Amino acid sequence: MGFRSILPIISGIIPFGAVMGSAFAEAKLSFWQSMLMNTAVYAGAAQLATVDLMKVNAAMFVVVATGLIINLRFLLYSAAMSPYLKDSSFTVKFLTAFTLTDQSYAAMSANHDKIKTNAEATQFYLGTALCMVLTWHGSVIAGYAFGNFAPEALNLDYAIPLSFVALLMPTLKTNGHRAVALFSSVISLLFYGFPLKTGMIVTALISIALAWMIIQKKNLHD
Amino acid sequence: MINENYFLINVALLTVGTIIIRGSFISLAGKMTINHKVKDLFTYIPAAILPAIIIPATFYHQGQVEFLAGKERFIILLASFLFAYFVRNTLAIISFGLILLYLISSI
Repeated sequence: MGFRSILPIISGIIPFGAVMGSAFAEAKLSFWQSMLMNTAVYAGAAQLATVDLMKVNAAMFVVVATGLIINLRFLLYSAAMSPYLKDSSFTVKFLTAFTLTDQSYAAMSANHDKIKTNAEATQFYLGTALCMVLTWHGSVIAGYAFGNFAPEALNLDYAIPLSFVALLMPTLKTNGHRAVALFSSVISLLFYGFPLKTGMIVTALISIALAWMIIQKKNLHD
Repeated sequence: MINENYFLINVALLTVGTIIIRGSFISLAGKMTINHKVKDLFTYIPAAILPAIIIPATFYHQGQVEFLAGKERFIILLASFLFAYFVRNTLAIISFGLILLYLISSI
């Protein structure tokens, strides 16, 4: 059931994976290095950003901090999944954590009303995760092969910001979210020239602080 | 060319850090409840982080369309945001942006 339910969402993963594969090839990483990162980190947005930083030989702490800040959104998914897993074994918990993605989380939250028990939820989730793993790796491998000879006129590199737009848009649910996104956009331009490519990290931290202020203000009014 | 040791250490640290983030609340399943304000903060994380990647990568890209002062990608990004507001499909959004960029660059 989980495998089938994620199929409509998966169409968006194929171009994203292809972009990732082509980014690996452009960075002149070997096939095995690419597969190692793709399997071990298994987080497209963070991989794209960090491969880009590694290409320009950015400081290690900048590469790692950037990747982990991008992956902070998994905290939300981890928190959302935890009630379903309270009686699960370590293996199931580990597999669930390791395969948490935007898409699996989206499929879970879209279908949570159809799930009756924690066991059903786990089974459903692992179905979505299996579909994601297969599609993601397949499309990255295709992108790695295609990226080596994709014509420059196709501007395939631009698919990266576009895929992030697709990730961002559904999360801008309230005026508060939209204000934080706008604020982050503006200050990211101001901080772009920060030394050691730390502009993105500083922007993210200040924007999260703004989000916290918005939440505090909202709670005062409620 | 990315140095192999530099690459491997970065990947190792990213792997460990990411699994800690992903496993944080899952490993504590049933042992704690999360404050609603913290839960709310998590929902703001994409809004705080993704524009910080998208906007500079687009705005500071040196484009090639003279009459748009080389800023064609930024204009296409704005059009793609508008498109994404109505169409919530990753494939459609990427295709829309890339086709528009190809057409504008071909003028």
